[in-house]
Amino acid sequence: MKVIINKDVVLEGLQKVQSIVGTKTTLPVLYNVFLKAEDDKVFLTATNIDVTVRTSVQATVSREGGTTLPARRLTSIIRELPATDIEINVDDKDVATIKAGSSRFKIIGISDEEFPALPSLEEGKTYSVDQGIFRRMLLSTSYAASHEESRYVLNGVLLNFKEDKLNMVATDGRRMALYEEPVEFPDELAGDYIVPSTAVNELLKTLGAEGKMRIVAGQNQITFEFDDIYIVSKLIEGTFPNFRQVIPSACEERVMVEREQLLTAIKRVSLVSDKSNTVNLVFSKNHLELQASAQDIGEASETLAVKYSGKEIKISFNPEYLMDCLRSLTSDEVALEISDDLSPGVVKCDAPFLYVLMPMRVR
Amino acid sequence: MTGSKRIQLLPDHVINKIAAGEVVERPASVLKELLENALDAGASSIEVSLVDGGRKLIRVADDGSGMNRDDALLAIERHATSKIRDSEDIEHIATLGFRGEALAAISSVSRFTLLTRLAGEVEGTEIEISGGKLLHVRAAGCPPGTDIAVRNLFFNVPARKKFLRAAATEQQHARQMFLLHALAHPDVAFRLTMDEREHHRLAAADTLEARLGELYGQDFARDLVPVDFSRDGYRVWGLIGKPTLHRSDRSDQITFVNRRPATAPVVHYALGEVYRGTVPKGRHPVLFLFLEVPPDAVDVNVHPTKKEVRFRVLSMVRDLLIEGLSRALKQPPPSRRTDIPEPGTQRTAGPALAPEALHLPDLQHPFPPKPPMPRTETVPALPGSGFTPLRGDHSPGEPAAPPPPASSPDSPWGNATFLGSVGNGYAVFAIPEGMLLLDPQAAHERVLYEQYLHQIQSNRIPAQPLLQPETIDLPPVKGDTLRRHLASLHELGFGISDFGGDTFLVDALPACLGDAPLRALLDDLTTALTEGGQKRAMGDLLRERIARAACATAVGGTRRLKPEEALSLLNALAGADMPYTCPHGRPTVILTRRSELDRKFGKG
Repeated sequence: MKVIINKDVVLEGLQKVQSIVGTKTTLPVLYNVFLKAEDDKVFLTATNIDVTVRTSVQATVSREGGTTLPARRLTSIIRELPATDIEINVDDKDVATIKAGSSRFKIIGISDEEFPALPSLEEGKTYSVDQGIFRRMLLSTSYAASHEESRYVLNGVLLNFKEDKLNMVATDGRRMALYEEPVEFPDELAGDYIVPSTAVNELLKTLGAEGKMRIVAGQNQITFEFDDIYIVSKLIEGTFPNFRQVIPSACEERVMVEREQLLTAIKRVSLVSDKSNTVNLVFSKNHLELQASAQDIGEASETLAVKYSGKEIKISFNPEYLMDCLRSLTSDEVALEISDDLSPGVVKCDAPFLYVLMPMRVR
Repeated sequence: MTGSKRIQLLPDHVINKIAAGEVVERPASVLKELLENALDAGASSIEVSLVDGGRKLIRVADDGSGMNRDDALLAIERHATSKIRDSEDIEHIATLGFRGEALAAISSVSRFTLLTRLAGEVEGTEIEISGGKLLHVRAAGCPPGTDIAVRNLFFNVPARKKFLRAAATEQQHARQMFLLHALAHPDVAFRLTMDEREHHRLAAADTLEARLGELYGQDFARDLVPVDFSRDGYRVWGLIGKPTLHRSDRSDQITFVNRRPATAPVVHYALGEVYRGTVPKGRHPVLFLFLEVPPDAVDVNVHPTKKEVRFRVLSMVRDLLIEGLSRALKQPPPSRRTDIPEPGTQRTAGPALAPEALHLPDLQHPFPPKPPMPRTETVPALPGSGFTPLRGDHSPGEPAAPPPPASSPDSPWGNATFLGSVGNGYAVFAIPEGMLLLDPQAAHERVLYEQYLHQIQSNRIPAQPLLQPETIDLPPVKGDTLRRHLASLHELGFGISDFGGDTFLVDALPACLGDAPLRALLDDLTTALTEGGQKRAMGDLLRERIARAACATAVGGTRRLKPEEALSLLNALAGADMPYTCPHGRPTVILTRRSELDRKFGKG
C-alpha cells in the first residue's frame, strides 16, 4: 500500500484505537495496529481479541493494500514528524517506509494476514442512542463495576433495554449505580447485555458529545457504531443480579446536600482515615457532620449546614464509594436518603440516577 | 489341595522374617535398633563400626548393663523384652525400644553374633545365629556390656538384598542415624568407625550445644538460638536456626519426641507458622528440637520403626511449639554468648575494640547517634497504641539520657555507628560485634509490615455489608469449622450466618479485605481456622495484602540513607519481632563478625 496522509488526521485516528493495544500479550501481532488503504481512506484497527476498535481517516491512496505496524512506535514516530504530509509506503515484505519532509523511517511490520479477523458485524437487535447521553450514563455508573475476576458477571456494565427505556447498571456487590434514559425501540427488542469494562473504557474515550450511535447487539457480541468508529466487544455471559431488588422501596429521611461541598468535605475528612476506610455521617437538626478517625493518625470533622429536621442518625460509609458517585455527577445538589445506620443509603440527583450503597458496620 | 489352603499358624522363623520386613529395612534401621538397645541398657560409651555401608558389618558395642546367659537367649526370641511387662506399660513407655522384636528379626536375616557380660559375672556369653538358626551358645571372655555384630545383612533374603542401595548411600543413612542418636544423648560418648576409618569420636559432652559444635562445627552453632519453653508438663527445648539459616530440604530439621528421633505433621505445621515470612518459600529452617511430653500423651506405637508419633492433644503441642519457638526467635540474638567461646588470645583485642566503638559516635560529631535511638526504640515498643507522635514531641525537649544506655545494650545491634552506604544503597554500620550491612528497603518493609499487621490486629475491624447476601456451600468438614467460629468471625467483620446444612449466608465482609472473591476467601479462612485457630486466621488472610502495602511504602532500593535515617531504621528494625528478613523472606541485614574479619585477614 502507498498513501499520503495528514499528520494530525492520522494521529487522531491512531490515538482512538491504540489504547486497546496490549502491553502484555503472547501474540505479537496484537501489539500492532492494522492499516488498510481503500478508496480514499485508511482504516485503522486494533484489538485485544475481546474488544476491537476500528476507525478510518482520510488519505490520498495511490496503492491499496494492508499491513500491521507496531502501534505505539508508529504513534510516537508520527507525533514527532516535522512535516504535515506523511507518505507511508509498504512493500510486499511488510516493511513500511515513512517519509515526511527530510525524515525517513523504515519500520518492520507483520503481515495483515496474521491479524485476527475483524469480528463479522453479525445480525442482531439494533438500537439508536444519543452519544452524549450514553456517555453520561457510562460515566455515572461504570465506576461501580467490580474488578474482582471471580465475579465476572459484575466486571462490566449492564445495558437493560426494557419498556422504552435503557437502564444502565453497575455494581460490585457493595454499592450499585443505576441510570435510566428513555430510548425508543419496539418491544420485541427488549434485552440485557453486559458490556465488559474494557469496552466501556474505550467508549468513554471515543464517544463524542453529540450525534447518534447505533448499537447492534448479537448473541455473544455487541457493536457500537458512531462517527467513523466501530467498537466491537464480546459480551459477558451470565445473568446480572436483579438490580431492582436492591433498591430500597422507601426511606425514612431525605436530605438535600450541595454536591460539590459534600464531595470536598468528605475528601478532606477522609485524609485521616486509614486502610479500613470509614467516614461517619451524623445527621442532626439542620446539621450534617462528617467525621473520620484512625487510631494511629488522628481525627477530623466538618459540619455542613443542611435542611434536616428528622431523627438523629449516625451512619458510616466507605468514603471512596461516596466520592466515586459524587464525582461522577454534574448536578448542583444531591439527595441523600437514609433510614437508619444499618439500612442501605441512596444518593439521587436531578437526573434519572440512583446510587445504593451499604453502610459499614462499626462495632 | 485342601491341605495347602487350610489356615495354620506360621512357624516362628517365618514370622521373624515378616517382622524383619517391617523393622529391618536397611543397615541404618539395624543400627537404630542396636543403638536404642545400647542406650536403654544405660551405656555411657558406645562404639559403632560399619563396613561397606553396613552391608558387610554393623557392630555396636556398649558398656551398658549386659545380660546373663539366660537373658541373652531370651533376648533373641520374638516379643521378648525387658522393657515392658504388660499392656499397661505401653501407655507410658520411657525406654526407646519396647516391641521386643528387633533382635529376633535382625538375627533372622543376617549372620548375627551377640557377646555380652553382666558387670558382676565372671564370664560372658556368646551367641551365634545365622539366618534365624541358632548355631551355638558358649561362654566367652569379654568386657562388661553388650557387643552385637550383624554381618551380611539379608544374605538369605535375596529379594531384600537387591533393594539395598550403593554402599555410599547406605553409609549416608547409617551415619545420619548415628548423628541423631549422638545428638539426642550428649551425655554418652560415641565413636563411629566406617571401613576401618574413625569418623567421629565424641566425648561425653554436657550440653546439646557442645555436641552440635563437635558434629557440625562451631561456626554453625553460632547461627542457632536456644529454645526452652514449657507449659502444663510439656516442654520444648533445643536449638533452632535463625531465619537467615535455611536449607533446601528438611534433612537438618531434627526433632526428638521424648528423646526418640521422631516427627509428626504438627511439628511441620508449627514450623511453617513460626518461620513464615522470614524464611523464603520452599526453604526450610534448621533445628534440633526436643519435645518432652508426658509418656501417656504420645503414642509411639504407630509405626514399627517409630519414625512418626501421634499426640493425644494436638493443639497443645502445636501451641507449645509456636509460642516457644516464636519467643526464642524474638529474643535479641545473644551476642555475648557467642563471643565467649572465642579463644583466650582474643582477650586483649576485645576490650581494646569495645571502647573504640563507644568513642566513635562522639568523634563523628555531625549527628549524635543517641537522640534518634530512644525515639525509635519507642516506636516498636508501642506500635498500634497510636501515640508515637506524642512521644516524638517529648523526646527532643529532653534528650532522654536514661533510656539509651538502658535500651541499647539490650537491643541486638546496640552502639551502632553508621559508616556510609555501599553498592545499591546498602548501609554499613560498625557495631561492637563486627560489621553490619543493612538493606534499607528490606529493613523498612519489615518494620512497616509489622506496624500494619499490628494496627489491623489491634483495631476494631469495620464490616462492609453486601447489597445482597450471598449463599456459599462448603464441604462438611469446612462447614463445621466455620460454624464453630461464627461468633469470633463476627468480631473480625464477617457477617456469616448458618443457612442450614452446609450452606452459609454471607452478608458482610471486613472492609479491609476489599473486593475479594468470596468462595476462595471462605475456603482460605476455614483452612486458616483449622490449622491456626481464630487468632491467626485474620493475620493469615491479610498477610499478603499487608506485605504488598509495606513493599509499596518502603523506601526505594537505591536511595542512600542519611546517617540519622540509617540509625533510626536500624533501631526500628531491632525492635521488630522478626528482624532478620523482609516479609518476603529476603535478608534485611548481613553481619560479619570481628572473628570472621580477623580470619579473612589471616589474623585468626
